[in-house]
Amino acid sequence: MKEMFRYGFILALICTIAAGLLAAANALTRPKIFAQAQLEERAGLKEVMPAAAGFKAVKPEADKEILYYKAFDSQDKLIGFVFKASGKGYSSMVETLVGVFLDDKISAIKVISQNETPGLGVRITENKFTGQFSNRNSLDLSGVQVIAGATISSRAIINSVMKKAREIKELIKNEK
Amino acid sequence: MKNFIKEFTKGIIRENPTFVLVLGLCPTLAVSVSVVNGIGMGIAATFVLLGSSLIVSLVRDFIPDKIRIPCYIVIIATFVTIAELCMKAYSPVLDRALGIYVPLIVVNCIVLGRAEAFACKNNFRSSFCDGLGMGVGFTLALILISAIREFLGSGRILGHTLIKGFEPVFVFGMPSGALLVIGLLLGFFNLLKNRKT
Repeated sequence: MKEMFRYGFILALICTIAAGLLAAANALTRPKIFAQAQLEERAGLKEVMPAAAGFKAVKPEADKEILYYKAFDSQDKLIGFVFKASGKGYSSMVETLVGVFLDDKISAIKVISQNETPGLGVRITENKFTGQFSNRNSLDLSGVQVIAGATISSRAIINSVMKKAREIKELIKNEK
Repeated sequence: MKNFIKEFTKGIIRENPTFVLVLGLCPTLAVSVSVVNGIGMGIAATFVLLGSSLIVSLVRDFIPDKIRIPCYIVIIATFVTIAELCMKAYSPVLDRALGIYVPLIVVNCIVLGRAEAFACKNNFRSSFCDGLGMGVGFTLALILISAIREFLGSGRILGHTLIKGFEPVFVFGMPSGALLVIGLLLGFFNLLKNRKT
Protein backbone atom coordinates (compact mmCIF):
# COMPACT_ATOMS: atom_id res chain seq x y z
CA MET A 1 0.00 0.00 0.00
CA LYS A 2 2.74 2.41 1.03
CA GLU A 3 4.67 1.46 -2.08
CA MET A 4 1.73 2.32 -4.28
CA PHE A 5 1.52 5.87 -2.94
CA ARG A 6 5.26 6.33 -3.26
CA TYR A 7 5.21 5.21 -6.90
CA GLY A 8 2.22 7.40 -7.63
CA PHE A 9 3.90 10.38 -6.04
CA ILE A 10 7.15 9.89 -7.97
CA LEU A 11 5.32 9.49 -11.28
CA ALA A 12 3.19 12.55 -10.55
CA LEU A 13 6.30 14.55 -9.70
CA ILE A 14 8.00 13.60 -12.96
CA CYS A 15 4.86 14.40 -14.93
CA THR A 16 4.53 17.80 -13.24
CA ILE A 17 8.10 18.74 -14.12
CA ALA A 18 7.55 17.53 -17.70
CA ALA A 19 4.33 19.54 -17.98
CA GLY A 20 6.10 22.66 -16.73
CA LEU A 21 8.87 22.23 -19.29
CA LEU A 22 6.36 21.71 -22.09
CA ALA A 23 4.38 24.77 -21.09
CA ALA A 24 7.57 26.85 -21.24
CA ALA A 25 8.54 25.40 -24.63
CA ASN A 26 5.06 26.04 -25.95
CA ALA A 27 5.03 29.63 -24.72
CA LEU A 28 8.40 30.24 -26.38
CA THR A 29 7.60 28.70 -29.77
CA ARG A 30 3.93 29.60 -30.13
CA PRO A 31 4.25 33.13 -31.53
CA LYS A 32 6.95 31.87 -33.88
CA ILE A 33 4.77 29.00 -35.16
CA PHE A 34 1.85 31.39 -35.63
CA ALA A 35 4.01 33.85 -37.54
CA GLN A 36 5.36 31.06 -39.75
CA ALA A 37 1.86 29.86 -40.60
CA GLN A 38 0.77 33.39 -41.51
CA LEU A 39 3.87 34.03 -43.55
CA GLU A 40 3.30 30.82 -45.43
CA GLU A 41 -0.33 31.68 -46.06
CA ARG A 42 0.59 35.12 -47.39
CA ALA A 43 3.29 33.69 -49.65
CA GLY A 44 0.88 31.06 -50.97
CA LEU A 45 -1.84 33.63 -51.72
CA LYS A 46 0.62 35.89 -53.48
CA GLU A 47 1.88 32.99 -55.57
CA VAL A 48 -1.50 31.96 -56.97
CA MET A 49 -2.70 35.56 -57.41
CA PRO A 50 0.37 37.67 -58.30
CA ALA A 51 -1.82 40.44 -59.71
CA ALA A 52 -3.37 41.20 -56.32
CA ALA A 53 -2.01 43.70 -53.83
CA GLY A 54 -4.08 42.69 -50.79
CA PHE A 55 -6.20 39.85 -49.54
CA LYS A 56 -9.11 39.63 -47.17
CA ALA A 57 -10.26 36.39 -45.58
CA VAL A 58 -13.99 35.67 -45.77
CA LYS A 59 -15.47 33.78 -42.83
CA PRO A 60 -19.12 32.99 -42.18
CA GLU A 61 -18.63 33.85 -38.51
CA ALA A 62 -15.67 35.20 -36.61
CA ASP A 63 -14.43 31.92 -35.16
CA LYS A 64 -15.31 29.68 -38.12
CA GLU A 65 -12.89 28.41 -40.73
CA ILE A 66 -11.96 30.63 -43.65
CA LEU A 67 -14.16 29.98 -46.69
CA TYR A 68 -12.14 31.84 -49.29
CA TYR A 69 -10.10 35.01 -49.74
CA LYS A 70 -11.04 38.11 -51.67
CA ALA A 71 -8.18 39.52 -53.71
CA PHE A 72 -7.89 43.28 -54.26
CA ASP A 73 -5.59 45.24 -56.56
CA SER A 74 -3.64 48.34 -55.54
CA GLN A 75 -6.75 50.57 -56.06
CA ASP A 76 -8.70 48.37 -53.62
CA LYS A 77 -10.83 47.01 -56.44
CA LEU A 78 -11.99 43.38 -56.22
CA ILE A 79 -10.20 41.38 -58.92
CA GLY A 80 -10.74 37.78 -57.88
CA PHE A 81 -10.82 35.10 -55.26
CA VAL A 82 -8.45 32.58 -53.76
CA PHE A 83 -9.74 29.31 -52.31
CA LYS A 84 -8.46 25.99 -51.08
CA ALA A 85 -9.60 22.80 -52.80
CA SER A 86 -8.96 19.32 -51.49
CA GLY A 87 -9.59 15.92 -52.99
CA LYS A 88 -8.68 12.32 -52.32
CA GLY A 89 -5.61 11.35 -54.32
CA TYR A 90 -3.94 7.97 -54.55
CA SER A 91 -2.59 7.81 -51.00
CA SER A 92 -3.46 11.13 -49.38
CA MET A 93 -5.64 14.21 -49.43
CA VAL A 94 -4.30 16.58 -52.04
CA GLU A 95 -4.80 20.24 -51.09
CA THR A 96 -4.46 22.97 -53.66
CA LEU A 97 -4.60 26.73 -53.41
CA VAL A 98 -6.39 28.24 -56.40
CA GLY A 99 -6.54 31.83 -57.55
CA VAL A 100 -9.39 32.81 -59.90
CA PHE A 101 -10.27 36.11 -61.53
CA LEU A 102 -13.80 37.50 -61.59
CA ASP A 103 -14.45 35.98 -65.04
CA ASP A 104 -13.77 32.44 -63.66
CA LYS A 105 -10.34 32.29 -65.33
CA ILE A 106 -7.69 30.66 -63.16
CA SER A 107 -4.70 32.83 -62.31
CA ALA A 108 -2.54 29.98 -60.97
CA ILE A 109 -2.74 26.96 -58.71
CA LYS A 110 -0.31 25.59 -56.15
CA VAL A 111 -0.32 22.24 -54.39
CA ILE A 112 0.07 23.01 -50.69
CA SER A 113 -0.23 19.59 -49.13
CA GLN A 114 0.04 16.06 -50.50
CA ASN A 115 1.60 12.73 -49.67
CA GLU A 116 1.48 10.92 -52.99
CA THR A 117 3.80 8.22 -54.28
CA PRO A 118 7.35 9.57 -54.62
CA GLY A 119 8.45 9.68 -58.23
CA LEU A 120 4.95 9.19 -59.63
CA GLY A 121 2.07 11.01 -57.93
CA VAL A 122 4.41 13.64 -56.53
CA ARG A 123 4.86 15.04 -60.02
CA ILE A 124 1.48 16.78 -59.68
CA THR A 125 3.37 19.50 -57.81
CA GLU A 126 5.59 20.20 -60.83
CA ASN A 127 5.02 23.23 -62.98
CA LYS A 128 4.52 21.07 -66.05
CA PHE A 129 1.20 19.99 -64.59
CA THR A 130 0.08 22.94 -62.49
CA GLY A 131 1.07 25.41 -65.21
CA GLN A 132 -1.66 23.99 -67.44
CA PHE A 133 -4.34 25.44 -65.17
CA SER A 134 -3.41 29.07 -65.75
CA ASN A 135 -5.88 31.01 -67.95
CA ARG A 136 -8.33 28.12 -68.07
CA ASN A 137 -11.95 28.42 -67.03
CA SER A 138 -12.13 27.11 -63.47
CA LEU A 139 -15.56 25.57 -64.09
CA ASP A 140 -14.40 23.46 -67.03
CA LEU A 141 -10.97 21.86 -66.76
CA SER A 142 -11.50 19.04 -69.25
CA GLY A 143 -8.59 20.24 -71.35
CA VAL A 144 -5.95 19.65 -68.67
CA GLN A 145 -3.63 16.77 -69.55
CA VAL A 146 -3.16 14.30 -66.70
CA ILE A 147 0.33 12.97 -65.98
CA ALA A 148 1.03 9.46 -67.25
CA GLY A 149 1.50 7.23 -64.21
CA ALA A 150 -0.21 9.72 -61.93
CA THR A 151 -3.75 9.68 -63.28
CA ILE A 152 -5.48 9.39 -59.91
CA SER A 153 -3.43 12.16 -58.32
CA SER A 154 -3.93 14.46 -61.32
CA ARG A 155 -7.67 13.75 -61.43
CA ALA A 156 -7.92 14.51 -57.71
CA ILE A 157 -6.68 18.05 -58.33
CA ILE A 158 -8.73 18.67 -61.48
CA ASN A 159 -11.98 17.45 -59.93
CA SER A 160 -11.51 19.07 -56.55
CA VAL A 161 -10.68 22.43 -58.14
CA MET A 162 -13.76 22.31 -60.40
CA LYS A 163 -16.04 21.24 -57.56
CA LYS A 164 -14.80 23.91 -55.19
CA ALA A 165 -14.91 26.57 -57.91
CA ARG A 166 -18.62 25.83 -58.45
CA GLU A 167 -19.29 25.91 -54.72
CA ILE A 168 -17.56 29.25 -54.33
CA LYS A 169 -19.42 30.67 -57.34
CA GLU A 170 -22.73 29.63 -55.75
CA LEU A 171 -21.69 31.19 -52.49
CA ILE A 172 -20.71 34.48 -54.05
CA LYS A 173 -23.93 34.61 -56.08
CA ASN A 174 -26.00 34.16 -52.92
CA GLU A 175 -24.10 36.93 -51.20
CA LYS A 176 -24.88 39.52 -53.82
CA MET B 1 38.58 10.26 -21.30
CA LYS B 2 39.46 7.25 -23.43
CA ASN B 3 36.42 5.51 -22.01
CA PHE B 4 34.14 8.30 -23.15
CA ILE B 5 35.52 8.23 -26.66
CA LYS B 6 34.89 4.50 -26.71
CA GLU B 7 31.28 5.00 -25.60
CA PHE B 8 30.86 7.60 -28.31
CA THR B 9 32.38 5.67 -31.22
CA LYS B 10 30.71 2.34 -30.48
CA GLY B 11 27.36 3.80 -31.57
CA ILE B 12 28.76 4.78 -34.95
CA ILE B 13 30.18 1.47 -36.16
CA ARG B 14 30.46 -1.41 -33.69
CA GLU B 15 26.95 -1.02 -32.28
CA ASN B 16 25.34 1.08 -34.98
CA PRO B 17 21.64 1.29 -34.07
CA THR B 18 20.41 0.67 -37.59
CA PHE B 19 22.88 -1.79 -39.07
CA VAL B 20 24.01 -3.75 -36.03
CA LEU B 21 21.34 -3.39 -33.34
CA VAL B 22 18.64 -3.18 -36.05
CA LEU B 23 16.47 -0.84 -33.96
CA GLY B 24 14.10 1.92 -35.06
CA LEU B 25 13.65 0.65 -38.59
CA CYS B 26 10.13 1.99 -39.07
CA PRO B 27 11.07 5.70 -39.23
CA THR B 28 14.23 4.74 -41.12
CA LEU B 29 12.19 3.05 -43.85
CA ALA B 30 9.67 5.86 -44.01
CA VAL B 31 11.68 9.08 -44.01
CA SER B 32 14.77 8.01 -45.98
CA VAL B 33 13.27 9.24 -49.26
CA SER B 34 15.59 12.24 -49.43
CA VAL B 35 18.85 13.24 -47.75
CA VAL B 36 17.29 16.39 -46.26
CA ASN B 37 14.64 14.29 -44.51
CA GLY B 38 17.30 11.89 -43.30
CA ILE B 39 19.40 14.66 -41.77
CA GLY B 40 16.37 16.32 -40.16
CA MET B 41 15.12 13.08 -38.66
CA GLY B 42 18.64 12.21 -37.49
CA ILE B 43 19.11 15.54 -35.73
CA ALA B 44 15.69 15.34 -34.03
CA ALA B 45 16.35 11.78 -32.84
CA THR B 46 19.86 12.72 -31.64
CA PHE B 47 18.46 15.62 -29.61
CA VAL B 48 15.89 13.33 -27.99
CA LEU B 49 18.46 10.60 -27.35
CA LEU B 50 20.90 13.03 -25.77
CA GLY B 51 18.29 14.64 -23.57
CA SER B 52 16.62 11.44 -22.43
CA SER B 53 19.89 9.57 -21.82
CA LEU B 54 21.19 12.45 -19.74
CA ILE B 55 18.05 12.86 -17.64
CA VAL B 56 17.48 9.13 -17.18
CA SER B 57 21.02 8.62 -15.94
CA LEU B 58 20.70 11.58 -13.57
CA VAL B 59 17.47 10.38 -11.98
CA ARG B 60 18.21 6.65 -12.15
CA ASP B 61 18.62 6.28 -8.37
CA PHE B 62 15.43 8.19 -7.71
CA ILE B 63 13.14 6.15 -10.00
CA PRO B 64 11.93 2.84 -8.51
CA ASP B 65 12.54 -0.19 -10.73
CA LYS B 66 8.89 -1.14 -11.00
CA ILE B 67 7.72 2.10 -12.60
CA ARG B 68 10.83 2.89 -14.62
CA ILE B 69 9.22 2.37 -18.05
CA PRO B 70 6.39 4.94 -17.62
CA CYS B 71 8.93 7.38 -16.16
CA TYR B 72 11.24 6.93 -19.17
CA ILE B 73 8.36 7.38 -21.57
CA VAL B 74 7.29 10.65 -19.92
CA ILE B 75 10.87 11.94 -20.10
CA ILE B 76 11.27 10.88 -23.73
CA ALA B 77 7.86 12.27 -24.75
CA THR B 78 8.76 15.63 -23.22
CA PHE B 79 11.92 15.88 -25.30
CA VAL B 80 10.11 14.74 -28.44
CA THR B 81 7.43 17.38 -28.02
CA ILE B 82 10.03 20.09 -27.48
CA ALA B 83 11.86 18.94 -30.62
CA GLU B 84 8.61 18.94 -32.56
CA LEU B 85 7.64 22.44 -31.41
CA CYS B 86 11.08 23.79 -32.33
CA MET B 87 10.87 22.16 -35.73
CA LYS B 88 7.43 23.67 -36.35
CA ALA B 89 8.70 27.09 -35.34
CA TYR B 90 11.99 27.16 -37.19
CA SER B 91 11.63 24.73 -40.09
CA PRO B 92 8.00 24.21 -41.14
CA VAL B 93 9.04 22.67 -44.46
CA LEU B 94 11.01 19.92 -42.73
CA ASP B 95 8.20 19.48 -40.24
CA ARG B 96 5.78 18.77 -43.04
CA ALA B 97 8.19 16.40 -44.79
CA LEU B 98 8.74 14.31 -41.66
CA GLY B 99 5.12 14.49 -40.57
CA ILE B 100 4.00 11.86 -38.11
CA TYR B 101 7.50 10.38 -37.73
CA VAL B 102 8.68 13.14 -35.40
CA PRO B 103 6.04 12.45 -32.70
CA LEU B 104 6.70 8.75 -33.28
CA ILE B 105 10.27 9.15 -31.96
CA VAL B 106 8.59 8.57 -28.58
CA VAL B 107 8.21 4.90 -29.42
CA ASN B 108 11.47 4.64 -31.34
CA CYS B 109 13.20 1.56 -29.95
CA ILE B 110 16.61 3.25 -30.06
CA VAL B 111 15.64 5.88 -27.50
CA LEU B 112 13.87 3.59 -25.05
CA GLY B 113 16.47 0.90 -25.71
CA ARG B 114 19.36 3.16 -24.72
CA ALA B 115 17.52 4.37 -21.62
CA GLU B 116 16.85 0.79 -20.57
CA ALA B 117 20.12 -0.84 -21.62
CA PHE B 118 22.63 1.89 -20.86
CA ALA B 119 21.53 5.14 -19.23
CA CYS B 120 19.84 3.50 -16.22
CA LYS B 121 23.08 1.71 -15.31
CA ASN B 122 25.75 4.30 -16.06
CA ASN B 123 26.69 7.78 -14.88
CA PHE B 124 25.57 10.83 -16.81
CA ARG B 125 28.86 11.45 -18.58
CA SER B 126 29.03 7.97 -20.12
CA SER B 127 25.31 8.15 -20.90
CA PHE B 128 25.78 11.48 -22.64
CA CYS B 129 28.55 10.02 -24.82
CA ASP B 130 26.49 6.92 -25.47
CA GLY B 131 23.44 8.94 -26.49
CA LEU B 132 25.49 11.22 -28.72
CA GLY B 133 27.24 8.27 -30.35
CA MET B 134 23.98 6.43 -30.98
CA GLY B 135 22.37 9.59 -32.36
CA VAL B 136 25.29 10.25 -34.72
CA GLY B 137 25.29 6.59 -35.77
CA PHE B 138 21.58 6.75 -36.50
CA THR B 139 21.98 10.00 -38.44
CA LEU B 140 24.87 8.62 -40.52
CA ALA B 141 22.89 5.46 -41.29
CA LEU B 142 19.90 7.56 -42.35
CA ILE B 143 22.09 9.73 -44.57
CA LEU B 144 23.64 6.66 -46.20
CA ILE B 145 20.28 5.02 -46.90
CA SER B 146 18.57 8.19 -48.05
CA ALA B 147 21.50 9.16 -50.30
CA ILE B 148 21.28 5.80 -52.08
CA ARG B 149 17.51 6.02 -52.34
CA GLU B 150 17.37 9.63 -53.44
CA PHE B 151 20.03 9.06 -56.08
CA LEU B 152 18.53 5.88 -57.51
CA GLY B 153 14.91 6.92 -57.01
CA SER B 154 14.98 10.45 -58.36
CA GLY B 155 18.48 10.83 -59.82
CA ARG B 156 19.33 13.64 -57.42
CA ILE B 157 21.21 14.20 -54.17
CA LEU B 158 20.12 17.08 -51.93
CA GLY B 159 18.06 18.29 -54.87
CA HIS B 160 21.00 18.52 -57.27
CA THR B 161 21.14 16.39 -60.40
CA LEU B 162 24.40 14.45 -60.41
CA ILE B 163 24.43 12.62 -63.73
CA LYS B 164 22.61 14.13 -66.69
CA GLY B 165 20.41 11.69 -68.57
CA PHE B 166 20.23 9.21 -65.69
CA GLU B 167 16.80 7.61 -65.77
CA PRO B 168 15.60 7.26 -62.15
CA VAL B 169 14.32 3.90 -60.89
CA PHE B 170 11.04 4.83 -59.22
CA VAL B 171 10.87 1.75 -57.01
CA PHE B 172 13.69 3.12 -54.82
CA GLY B 173 11.53 6.06 -53.84
CA MET B 174 8.81 3.73 -52.61
CA PRO B 175 8.59 1.59 -49.45
CA SER B 176 9.65 -1.56 -51.33
CA GLY B 177 12.82 0.24 -52.41
CA ALA B 178 13.50 1.20 -48.80
CA LEU B 179 13.31 -2.44 -47.69
CA LEU B 180 15.60 -3.46 -50.56
CA VAL B 181 18.25 -0.85 -49.76
CA ILE B 182 18.21 -1.50 -46.01
CA GLY B 183 18.31 -5.27 -46.53
CA LEU B 184 21.27 -5.10 -48.87
CA LEU B 185 23.13 -2.69 -46.57
CA LEU B 186 22.49 -4.94 -43.56
CA GLY B 187 23.84 -7.89 -45.52
CA PHE B 188 26.86 -5.87 -46.56
CA PHE B 189 27.65 -4.84 -42.97
CA ASN B 190 27.24 -8.43 -41.77
CA LEU B 191 29.62 -9.61 -44.49
CA LEU B 192 32.22 -7.10 -43.29
CA LYS B 193 31.77 -8.25 -39.69
CA ASN B 194 32.10 -11.93 -40.59
CA ARG B 195 35.21 -11.27 -42.65
CA LYS B 196 36.91 -9.67 -39.64
CA THR B 197 36.18 -12.59 -37.31
